[in-house]
Amino acid sequence: MIPVRRPFACAALVLALNGGGPALAAAPPDVSPLPGESLYQLPVTLETMAGTTEPFARHRGRPVLVTMFYTHCASVCPILTAELQRLDSRLPVEQRARIAVVMVSLDSEADTPAELRRFAAEHKITDPRWTLARTSPAEVRTLAAALGIRFKKLPDGSFDHSTTIVLLDAEGVPRDRTSELLGTSDRFVDAVATLVRRESR
Amino acid sequence: MRALALLLALALPSACVGEASAVIGPADFTPVLSPSAKQSLAHVGAYRLDVRPVTNAEFAQFVRSHPQWRRDHVASLFVDADYLAHWPAADRIGGEALPEQPVTRVSWYAARAYCEARKARLPTWYEWEYAAAANEHVTDARTDPAWRERMLAWYARPGSDPLASAGLGTANLYGVRDLHDLVWEWVEDFNSLMLNGGARSDADTVNFCGAGALDAKDREAYPVLMRIAFLSSLEARSTSRRLGFRCAVDVP
Repeated sequence: MIPVRRPFACAALVLALNGGGPALAAAPPDVSPLPGESLYQLPVTLETMAGTTEPFARHRGRPVLVTMFYTHCASVCPILTAELQRLDSRLPVEQRARIAVVMVSLDSEADTPAELRRFAAEHKITDPRWTLARTSPAEVRTLAAALGIRFKKLPDGSFDHSTTIVLLDAEGVPRDRTSELLGTSDRFVDAVATLVRRESR
Repeated sequence: MRALALLLALALPSACVGEASAVIGPADFTPVLSPSAKQSLAHVGAYRLDVRPVTNAEFAQFVRSHPQWRRDHVASLFVDADYLAHWPAADRIGGEALPEQPVTRVSWYAARAYCEARKARLPTWYEWEYAAAANEHVTDARTDPAWRERMLAWYARPGSDPLASAGLGTANLYGVRDLHDLVWEWVEDFNSLMLNGGARSDADTVNFCGAGALDAKDREAYPVLMRIAFLSSLEARSTSRRLGFRCAVDVP
């Protein structure tokens, strides 16, 4: 993996897989140098549940909660999703509006945009601040490694994976993380709130 | 008997002795950690594996042609503070870092980038484990007490010893050397290695370091389990003075 060159190749690949569909229109990207620890240096392109492609770095400029999951996961992923929703709802409204939530699938094959939409509907995820997406297997490996998420595909097509929620700052630098599925601690919620306040100044 | 085994080994179509890489597999084998609770066999397709770890000289060549991987250029996302710290300069080896020694203090990202530049990739854990199960005579020597003793001898050696040159270890059946007795090695899917079940078996809190019981096929397979424990403790940007890598490619 070569940090500088590959993003373009990946973007081209995902676009090609998509039949060259229109990419999400976005504000002109911030091209100023990223901090050395920023995950936005990773050449990762997401295909969202809307069927559009966007760089993982699209949310640069505001804090992001990011996690990895897969839709046909029967036990832990629904809990993880619910916990992420509860965590989001515990933030004051004006802070909530400034944070993005990104859930990236571990299952590049099964989690098509349609499948991601089905999962979102099932979990009543309608807020446009939430992005459910998939990416290529190689990019899943890269992103999981960078997030410190361990995962293993099992012979029956399911996955063993660590259920970590990572808090990225506006520049994509990991600032905090939690694996508390049954009630995120006040400490983590405070960390999110503090970061959102700091980033909005 | 020994001579016969050697002859057989040389005649095996899957062995490619005397080249820079060896052809291994396809095969089904029983890895130390079962693929799942219901399945003990793992499959590896046919692959080529470097016969020895990548050396300082080879990695220096790569760093010169890919300066974004110089220790003074690379972003801290991709390496920790000790990346290539034993080299006398960012693009030069020498002193403590001899050309023929395996390159160490490289991160997973850096190892991956090197293999990619060679149009290769890191081996998967199963590919590494399958290749490393062989001795000079058989593809699976793991039940051989003498083999296990030899493995353990390396792990018992002090980590402060200077590293030997790459490629001097005994070649196994495939002609692959230094799998057990030189350095730890990165694999592509190091972040799939977990000593307990992962999220679904432990929905409450997930802490792989706190793994209680080993989900191990063979609790006596310590050499391989130590590898797994070591690799599962790493982050993608981690480096260590005993951690190197070799590359692999698919065989079509």
